[in-house]
Amino acid sequence: MESDWANERLQVIRTLMERSAIYRRALAPVMTATGMLGTLAAAVALAARIEAPRAFIGYWMAVALAAVAGSFLLARRQALKEAEPFWSPPTRRVAQALLPPLFFGFALGLLLAARPGVLGGASGAGRCLFWLPLVWIALYGCSLHAAGFFMPRGMKTFGWALVLASSVLGALGAFGLFDWAQPLLLGHGIMGLVFGLAHLAYGVYLYFTERSGNET
Amino acid sequence: MNPEPFLRLDRVVHEKGRMAIMSMLAASADLSFTDLRDALGMTDGNLITHIRTLQEAGYVSVTKSFRNHRPLTTCSLTGAGRRAFAGYINLLEEIVRQSKSKAQ
Repeated sequence: MESDWANERLQVIRTLMERSAIYRRALAPVMTATGMLGTLAAAVALAARIEAPRAFIGYWMAVALAAVAGSFLLARRQALKEAEPFWSPPTRRVAQALLPPLFFGFALGLLLAARPGVLGGASGAGRCLFWLPLVWIALYGCSLHAAGFFMPRGMKTFGWALVLASSVLGALGAFGLFDWAQPLLLGHGIMGLVFGLAHLAYGVYLYFTERSGNET
Repeated sequence: MNPEPFLRLDRVVHEKGRMAIMSMLAASADLSFTDLRDALGMTDGNLITHIRTLQEAGYVSVTKSFRNHRPLTTCSLTGAGRRAFAGYINLLEEIVRQSKSKAQ
């Protein structure tokens, strides 16, 4: 048809305009708040000696839910302040990209909390405190990386950094470099270090580098 | 097909690279030079040339500033640019409509 090229042009324009509308809400407050929460939660868990796998899983899933709720409220507050819709197309795309790996991490946590027996006794419980945080962090890194396609470039790098940190720690653990550490210290330590301090560091970095504009 | 809408297409916007730049800018308040370059996969030279043409036509404004002690170049559509882009899209839609009615 003669108008094929015109149709194709309109489609290209539509695609480019969608791609241009990336999520630009200020991430520094979200990252800093999440980092502070993660670091504080790790310190509290170590002090309270939360070491049973079920308690460990329940505790960190509650912390993760609190972090998600806090991020949601911070983003909503920014949208209200800017008199912009909160559930905009870029926000929807970011949420959709984040969801699958986060859902799997949540489902895995629930499964292990419900059936801790699948881990195989006391040694299995110790392994859980090491490997589950790594799986969670890698999945979280994957979700950030996926969302990074609709966010400023740094988010993909941060997602990759979490995946790499999780892989390196896993490799070190597999070769017995953490055999000296108590499972309690290791599990909460990994969560505090990678989930807490890494967010905190990224949040501080964003405070100094992030553009002040919001989503476009 | 009535060739008239085709003849009225703005040649500045019609070029593929410039149309892509204007599409990106139409959906944003402004975009940095690097954001545009990365999103469109253009070379620096190619992007500069297209932006210069759009600037000369009065469709794009370029602002140079500093962020974190680094130079930052941002581009945005001017009022004339928005009108030209909207007009271009209207003409494309008109061409599609004409072609459809002719086919029926």
